[in-house]
Amino acid sequence: MSLPTRPLTVTIDGRQRGPIDVPDGLMMIDLLHEILDLTGSRLGCGIGICHACVVIWDRDDGTSEEVRTCITGAGFFDGKRIRTIEGIARHNDKGEILSLSPVQQAFLDQFSFQCGYCTPGFVMAATVLIERLARTPVPRGQVEATVAAALEAHICRCTGYVRYYQAVRDVILATPGLTRDVG
Amino acid sequence: MRSTPGAGSRPSRRQVLRASLIGGIAVYVAPLGSQAFASLFEQRLLTRPDWGATDGVLKYRIDGTSKVIGAKVFARDLRARDMPHWPQQQSHALVLRTTRADRIYAGFDLSLLGDDLKPDRVVTAADLTRDGLAFPDFYGEDTLLPEGKTPAYLGQAVAILVFHDFVRFRFAKEKLQFNDAVIRYGASTGPLQRDPWGTSRFVRVGGNTPYDDDVFSCLKDGPISPGYEKHEPVWPAPARDGELGARGMYHATAIGDELAQPPAEWVVLKRRYATQSGDTAALEPDNANGWYDSDKQELHLVVPTQSPQEVAKGAATMLQSSRIGLKRLFLYPCFTVGYGAKDSCSMPYYGLIAAVYGGSRPVRLANDRFEQFQAGLKRHQLSMDYTVAIERRTGLLQSLRAGIVANGGGRKNVSDLLIKVGATSLGSAYYFPKTDVTATAIASRAVDAGSARGYGALETMTATELMMDDIAGELGLDPIEFRLRNVLKTGMRNTQGAIPTGVLRAEAVLEKARAHALWSGRGARKQAFDADHPGKYYGVGFGCIQWRFGNGAEASLAKVELAPDGRIMVSNSGAEIGTGLSSGQAVACVRWLGRPADAVELAVTDWSDLPVETSGDPRAMSQADQDRLAENPRWSPAYASASSASNSSYYLSHTTREAARIVYVHGLLPAALAIWTRDAPAGSRVPSIEDARWRDGSLTVEGLEPLPLVRLVREAHARGLVVGAAVHGFNRWRWAEADFVVNNVAVHAPVDALSVRYGEGGDVSKPGALQGRYHVLDRQAVIFPPTQNYHAMVGYCTAAGTLAELVVDAASGKVTLLSHHTILDCGTMLVPDLVSGQIQGGTATGIGLALHEHMPLYEDGPGNGTWNFNRYHLPRGSDVAAWTQTAEILQPLSESEPPKGMAEATVIPIMSAIVNGIAHAIGHRFRTLPVTPDQILAVLG
Repeated sequence: MSLPTRPLTVTIDGRQRGPIDVPDGLMMIDLLHEILDLTGSRLGCGIGICHACVVIWDRDDGTSEEVRTCITGAGFFDGKRIRTIEGIARHNDKGEILSLSPVQQAFLDQFSFQCGYCTPGFVMAATVLIERLARTPVPRGQVEATVAAALEAHICRCTGYVRYYQAVRDVILATPGLTRDVG
Repeated sequence: MRSTPGAGSRPSRRQVLRASLIGGIAVYVAPLGSQAFASLFEQRLLTRPDWGATDGVLKYRIDGTSKVIGAKVFARDLRARDMPHWPQQQSHALVLRTTRADRIYAGFDLSLLGDDLKPDRVVTAADLTRDGLAFPDFYGEDTLLPEGKTPAYLGQAVAILVFHDFVRFRFAKEKLQFNDAVIRYGASTGPLQRDPWGTSRFVRVGGNTPYDDDVFSCLKDGPISPGYEKHEPVWPAPARDGELGARGMYHATAIGDELAQPPAEWVVLKRRYATQSGDTAALEPDNANGWYDSDKQELHLVVPTQSPQEVAKGAATMLQSSRIGLKRLFLYPCFTVGYGAKDSCSMPYYGLIAAVYGGSRPVRLANDRFEQFQAGLKRHQLSMDYTVAIERRTGLLQSLRAGIVANGGGRKNVSDLLIKVGATSLGSAYYFPKTDVTATAIASRAVDAGSARGYGALETMTATELMMDDIAGELGLDPIEFRLRNVLKTGMRNTQGAIPTGVLRAEAVLEKARAHALWSGRGARKQAFDADHPGKYYGVGFGCIQWRFGNGAEASLAKVELAPDGRIMVSNSGAEIGTGLSSGQAVACVRWLGRPADAVELAVTDWSDLPVETSGDPRAMSQADQDRLAENPRWSPAYASASSASNSSYYLSHTTREAARIVYVHGLLPAALAIWTRDAPAGSRVPSIEDARWRDGSLTVEGLEPLPLVRLVREAHARGLVVGAAVHGFNRWRWAEADFVVNNVAVHAPVDALSVRYGEGGDVSKPGALQGRYHVLDRQAVIFPPTQNYHAMVGYCTAAGTLAELVVDAASGKVTLLSHHTILDCGTMLVPDLVSGQIQGGTATGIGLALHEHMPLYEDGPGNGTWNFNRYHLPRGSDVAAWTQTAEILQPLSESEPPKGMAEATVIPIMSAIVNGIAHAIGHRFRTLPVTPDQILAVLG
């Protein structure tokens, strides 16, 4: 086979992967699923609509953002640091879970999901939001609107969104420093 | 290096994987989450329930942790490398499909792939014909379409391409997808013309009152079936004293004549309603991953399915009747989500074919979203013509004639059943003295339509609710007042002439809705809002239904077992489809065992502990046949139902509860009695054990020492009492009941098969006692619900109503939901958090169907392979009033009231509530769903 490839090195969940020879044009979701065995970022639409496949890109300036891996080529991530759903909870050396993140715990506590296919995407979106609010708190009165705006792009077919939204709101309100009083 | 189950398998796996025989093929099933699967994966996907003993609330879904960390819980997540005994290299497959259905299929051209991307194996109809491999009968002919035939429908499969590495597969697919040059077509033929998939007619002429015997009805007499001429139904000639069909047509004709020339005091309305074709849009697209080991003649198949029993049987049957050698079949059903579309779904069989031709390599066939739109089962599009008569003075419904046409698409699937459900559900929450309902499922070139949430009833009930508002408007009545005048009350007969079981609570729902502030103040609020918001129109609408849950032939199996250390283990035949079945089954044990199960296995198909035989069609068999077959003490009319959102809480939990009850009555209670009386002073009164109650995990009665479960279990084991029970239940709008003898005690239970396991410390002469195996009890007598019960079509009901508050924007035509409020009867809730989650999710689906979701049926529709979520709008958070929606649950009638199926019930009333709310807002009644901004703008000008 004569498909052109390029070497790719990417840091995923704190661990450097590569260099891997990746064919030009291969989407990141395919690299995650088929080569790196990270299947938690789910394929929903494949065209960047549903956001089930997002990972978190940690920029060097300390900010982070969601990136849709179904429409982003693997090559984009060369030299970058990302987090996947597999890296959100704390694990020990054996891979056992030590603790869930506050967002994951809240989703579990509040029965936020049903089938759970979209859940990784919501975890990532809420994680990015909370990290953003830690840098730039919002007035308490704007929390619900902020949550709704941050999660709007994510599609869920089962739940009607209510318990996802409520869980994220409650995490924000319970976490010091994410909100501020107006004025 | 590879090893296979036949040699070198780990002992743990051999212990837990047990075979059942289907047509001479040994079938092994290891559902995801089961002990058998865990022995493959060595990981736990279900966690022990965290149970608040004092408040009796389950704290987490027991599948929650694995889902929230993105663990491999879906079939889609699994690859060959995840299956310990498979070859590790994964092959990939795709299906070539036609995008035209009006001309001859003339083969395909893969030259654009060149040598680099050429598939390693191409499977066509010729391969299947040579090897005698074809769909199970249910799915019809032409598993792969042979050259020279006109495709029956858009998206029909013609070939499976297998690639032995992912990268070539990925890039080949990119070249093939959306490329019209790949499939070649010959002469134009026009679409195939075929008989409908099914036509049924349900006629009822009631007695003098809603409570009296019927003159003619489906339950009393039967449904009417036509013949066909030129693909059109031909009905029997009417005759008052003729055969069933003739008599039915006599009454149908009389109903029609009366509506054509009604009494002067009647108001007669004719309306046409239509609902859309849709995609169930389960986020996990259909997939299968299979490995055929030709050396050992073993097939392994990982599948997402709502009906693992059907897949096991279908796959074994398919291979047994082929020239492909097969000795053993290993099936691995996983957690999934389908909303109906992973029930009676052909994807597992295409996966099987891909595996068979994979050259002894594991082959994964996984739809992307475009393929899922093109090939996944669709919601039936329905057109409904209603002619209804009301007495003006009283506002009472008098007569209804309805003609329903459902588009079943290219394969029959469940279309013939679905239209019956739709036709017999349209009476919903209301009493009609006379009805004549004809329902036809047509065959067309549309993508296959199958089971989807609501199963035909969603569509007809929505039409009925729009009609109820329409009539109320004609009569000048408040819509809820009009509904209350006509509400079906307990003891009244429905449109089939059946009296639904239990208390009907639609009246309570209606009363609550009428009193709700959203409704009572709607006029004043509209006036104020419209005055303050030029260009925007405020409206409040209401919808109410009485939802039947179940299909008239439900069956399930469950096993409850107590380990010597007090752990409770449950197995159930149902599959987890996201509704929380696993958690619900754990909680179903609480009433009898004091706390939820510690471990739950779902999608279990290995019931060697409880052999049950089935034969015949439970929906169509005669009473004489049933009586004859019932003489076999192992026989039941049906084996196991597929999982649906509405059957898990009632039908699947029933068997779990009954198994737990057997263990309680014949294991724990005698153990408790033995402990309580052992040290009691001579002459003490024996406690009334029927009054025993669980308190904080311990059993107590009459002030006697509370006994923790683990102590009772030890005692039961030591005494050789019952520590495990496996049961089978069958329901045809009533549970089958049977007599057994357990430990010399006569038992009458609402199950038709029972086996028990005794504690190992007991009498070694007792059957099964030594080996710790189950003792299958021959039933002494059985009462199966009469075959005629099936014609009731509606037996158990849940009432639900929704108020929707919305605003219509005159400039854009956009409808914005401000809030909505749902009132629901669901009996006793198993897990309240899951119930409220189902309400929220159900209403979101209803919102999508009312306002957003739509696609054309034919050439411009999903069969052309270009549809995805960019064109098919699923409701987002901003569409569902996420922060302002509310719900209330009717109090159960008593603590013994069972849980009711409710998930689909919450989808439906909000649909009509929205459309009726739009009518309140702008004064126009829409009758075609979804109501789009363009339609609204066309009305507003």
